[in-house]
Amino acid sequence: MRRFDWQDPRVVRAAQLLLAAGFFGVWQIAAGRWIDPFYVSRPSDIAAALGHEIASAQFYDDLRVTGVEMLLGYGVGAAGGVVLGVALGRFAFVARLLDPFLVALNAVPRVALAPMLIVWLGIDMASKIFLAATLVFFITFFNSLSGVRAVERGLCDVARVQGASGWQIFAKVMLPGAASWILTGLKMSLPFALVGVILGEFMVSSHGLGYRLNLYATSYNTAGAMAMIMIMMAITMLLGAGFDKLEAHLLRWRPPPAWVSAAPRI
Amino acid sequence: MLLRIDGVAKNFVGRNGVVAALDPVSLTISPGEFVTIVGPSGCGKSTLLNLLAGLAAPSGGQVLADGRPIAGLDRRIGYVTQQDNLFPWRTLRDNVALPLELAGVGRAERAARAQEWLARVGLDGFADAYPHELSGGMRQRGNIVRTLIYEPEVILMDEPFGPLDAQTRLGLQALLLRIWQQTRPTVLFVTHDLVEAIALADRVLLMSARPGRILRDEAVAIGRPRDVFFIHDDAEFRRLHDGIWRDLAREVTV
Repeated sequence: MRRFDWQDPRVVRAAQLLLAAGFFGVWQIAAGRWIDPFYVSRPSDIAAALGHEIASAQFYDDLRVTGVEMLLGYGVGAAGGVVLGVALGRFAFVARLLDPFLVALNAVPRVALAPMLIVWLGIDMASKIFLAATLVFFITFFNSLSGVRAVERGLCDVARVQGASGWQIFAKVMLPGAASWILTGLKMSLPFALVGVILGEFMVSSHGLGYRLNLYATSYNTAGAMAMIMIMMAITMLLGAGFDKLEAHLLRWRPPPAWVSAAPRI
Repeated sequence: MLLRIDGVAKNFVGRNGVVAALDPVSLTISPGEFVTIVGPSGCGKSTLLNLLAGLAAPSGGQVLADGRPIAGLDRRIGYVTQQDNLFPWRTLRDNVALPLELAGVGRAERAARAQEWLARVGLDGFADAYPHELSGGMRQRGNIVRTLIYEPEVILMDEPFGPLDAQTRLGLQALLLRIWQQTRPTVLFVTHDLVEAIALADRVLLMSARPGRILRDEAVAIGRPRDVFFIHDDAEFRRLHDGIWRDLAREVTV
């Protein structure tokens, strides 16, 4: 007799669907009976609110504004973080010089910066982009720096003995050697780009998903607010999934992780 | 290339002050000579190779290549390390072709030459494999071929067969001798295995425990080509082995 295979991806997927259905089912039943839908709404109302959003032109305008802010903030922050992280990995003196200053800057709670950013950069997109970029920057920066420092010395020596120039060491050893760290930083910082943008939109704005969420929440439209949160979640998940695909391609040389091969097979 | 090591010494600054890794060492190695260095672990064998490779600077004395001091790295001197140090993100072919890539050789020629060298060591079926997909012996063959492919005049080898099992070692020793006999580079081969040292070499150097000195310098008068699988039957092999072993054993037990 064939035993039930818990490793089968179809079994895992079916269990996941069951869990999600259970969660929303319990929510739907509980709302209005044991908990007040005024606070948490209910799945059917949220679905209706989502349908309402998707049909409205205003929503797409807000989605576009938030999307542009997020991508620009992420792009600026990630590019800066990777470039500076990798560069400081090469120049030990500069790294040591800047270390306390970077630690100090990173210690600034970014939320505290938000009101000042509005003073400095105004209430338009720039302040949101900057806020997102500062969050993204430090995550990608510290990961890239650690990655470059973690590259094995032996690999550098091999390339040096074979006549590699400083630039070749950088491009053919350091960068690919640090790739998994850099990608981890890029992936981890992705949700923070949205955090920064939404936070900025909460402060002052007239467009964007954060503006809309704030609007719904302050007018006690719980279903609309929940719908916004769901949309933000979906955006982050979609981008994350896209990133996983990219990472799997770029790091295809890596051995499969231990937990995959260690699982008993039938 | 004629290598002359002239009173070369190396000290390291540790937490407990200065440690002498290498007492002044002098020796001359002729072009095409296969020299093995054997000694107890920590005797400065690897330090000597690092100095020759230009990865470290001597604390005293100098290393001369064809009469001129070696200052820093020299592409005419190749280095096969004990760790295979294959780049995990490169396929075996791209690993082996790395020195050609660094020298600006075109893609098609790189691939062709890598394929040719991989075939010579029986790895042509694994050109597209990543290092983690290969066995230790295969990776070490890749490591050696990666140095042979750009034909340096001098090849330094730091216990290249150290981490391998006995059978694989013998196979790779035979392979190395076969290739060496075709191209005849100068080889400086560090090992802690006296059998391996004699089986491969024209000349065996015995080093003392730290700080390293050269205790014996023995010519190996065994004809070539040699059969490493049955070299222990050779009378000259046994004579050398017994003679050097007495001195080596004394160094190890110190």
